[in-house]
Amino acid sequence: MSPAAVKIERLEKTLGKNKVLRGISLEANSGEIFGLLGPNGAGKTTTLRIISTLLAPDAGSVEVLGFDTRAAPEEVRRRVGVVTADIGVYPRLSARENIRYFAELSGVLDGELERRVDAVLTRLDMASFANQRAESLSSGQKQKVAIARAIVHDPEVLMFDEPTSNLDVLASREIRGFMVESRGRGKCVIFSTHVLHDAERLCDRITILHEGSVVATGLTAEVRGAHRDLEDAFLELVDK
Amino acid sequence: MKALGIVFRKELREIVRDRRTLMAIALAALATPLVLIVISQVSTKTATQTYTIGYSGQIPTGLDILLSATGLKLEVVADPAAAAKQQVDLGVAFLPAEIDEYYDPTRQSAQIADTRLQTVLGQYNAAKAASALQQKGIDPGLLNPLPQKIHPLSSPAKAAGNAFLSFFLPYILITMVLTGGLSAALDSSAGERERKTLESLLLTPAPRSRILLGKILAISLISLVAAVAAIGSMLLALTQIPLLGSRVSLSPLAAVVMVWLAILLAGSFSSLTLALGTLAKNFRQGQAYATPLYFITIFPASIILFIPDFNPNLAYYLIPILNAVLVLRDAIVHDSVAWPALAVTTASLIATGLICWFTALRLFTREALLVRS
Repeated sequence: MSPAAVKIERLEKTLGKNKVLRGISLEANSGEIFGLLGPNGAGKTTTLRIISTLLAPDAGSVEVLGFDTRAAPEEVRRRVGVVTADIGVYPRLSARENIRYFAELSGVLDGELERRVDAVLTRLDMASFANQRAESLSSGQKQKVAIARAIVHDPEVLMFDEPTSNLDVLASREIRGFMVESRGRGKCVIFSTHVLHDAERLCDRITILHEGSVVATGLTAEVRGAHRDLEDAFLELVDK
Repeated sequence: MKALGIVFRKELREIVRDRRTLMAIALAALATPLVLIVISQVSTKTATQTYTIGYSGQIPTGLDILLSATGLKLEVVADPAAAAKQQVDLGVAFLPAEIDEYYDPTRQSAQIADTRLQTVLGQYNAAKAASALQQKGIDPGLLNPLPQKIHPLSSPAKAAGNAFLSFFLPYILITMVLTGGLSAALDSSAGERERKTLESLLLTPAPRSRILLGKILAISLISLVAAVAAIGSMLLALTQIPLLGSRVSLSPLAAVVMVWLAILLAGSFSSLTLALGTLAKNFRQGQAYATPLYFITIFPASIILFIPDFNPNLAYYLIPILNAVLVLRDAIVHDSVAWPALAVTTASLIATGLICWFTALRLFTREALLVRS
């Protein structure tokens, strides 16, 4: 079996006075959709931010494709793409310019740049609004720009943090479709959500966080067990 | 260093497309000539305006002609002291052996009329005395035992123009370097958080120091453009508008010194405003944080107005902003540069810029930046 794309061991993190993560461990592999589940405040976003090197761990370790997040943060960021619920884009740049900017900063070489940007525009069906200023785009279109800028450097690890929370049904379905497609391309897809129903449909394996600790981990079907759905399993796990 | 260039180009592109920044630069370029036109007209009007003297009694022979020629109009009043309070600019009671003058020092028109009256009376008294001595066969030169011959080392009109420039130009330079890039700086820092683009930007492998430096360079450039536009339009206007009786111009040396100081100030101000913007959650909060900067920066620029002959020792040139004002004033007024003063000023402004840069970098790389957002 190939080594895990993302490997977390005994990770701890305190933000202000809150101990957000209390020694969590997990592994996510290439070619799978890994669900990071839990209610709001469980520590999902903090975990993703530590994986992507935006935050430093207080204790424990995180490795992405063999690179330690503390020792080689730039190497990690080169291999990671993150899509969040915040679909902030530069309003005075066009969709294409937004994507090109992130491609350049991610180290896509000049000779490759336009080809990569065009490829991602085609892949996400963005040609019709590629040269439109981002300030005039709809939420769904902006979300596509946000996805495009996260994948334009073709990262091995893709992380989605509550990506559908601000989107309508159609746009949400496109995002889910994109995650499935990325899994098909051999990427490690980490899907963080509090919507357990979405996770149940998409994820191969899941880890459930509650108050900064792992309360369950394994194949989706295993965690669900004999319960009617993941929600029932989760409620039992947290004793509610 | 590639990331620096990428960020610099992107920031410039955004700034150029931002109406707020462009409007600020355009307004500054238009406003300075307008201010000059107003100053020119007010000073011309003050010089040619006729002021009224309310008088009582008998005017000495010939004095009325002299007063009239000096722009002082005579008007008979019953009580000169009462009239001087509001009705006329100056009250004069011509008594048989003396002249009583009444004026209100809080009124500028009264001060100007008083100065003119003193000049006319001085000339009148001297002429009368000389005539009396001549009639008695005495040389009137006796009244002036030490004749004075004045040799101005430069044109008094040019000196007056330089004095005006030495106040006005540092003031515009500092305000424009600060305000020209302020909107862009806040947009590039607080705006990134407000638009929720900051996290994505920091997720790129580009080193944060390079990202920040790219932003600072773009903002510095736009600050310089704003300052040059305002000062350029002012100097252009000065070639067309007579000010204080002459056309004022900036010497090449002063222009070079000004550009050098503008570059140094722009670097510091850009770092400082970026640091303040990084502390803010949104553009509006950033504006609130930056407001005190106006007072902090304008105060040293104004010192020249209150203490025009302020001649500090070298230690004063360590004080940022004040040092730039002093060096620029010397370059304009004397058309020369005291090199030790310029060296200390340069070192001080570079040190200030570095402190601001490290502060901005520290703020830009702290975890709270993302956690708070």
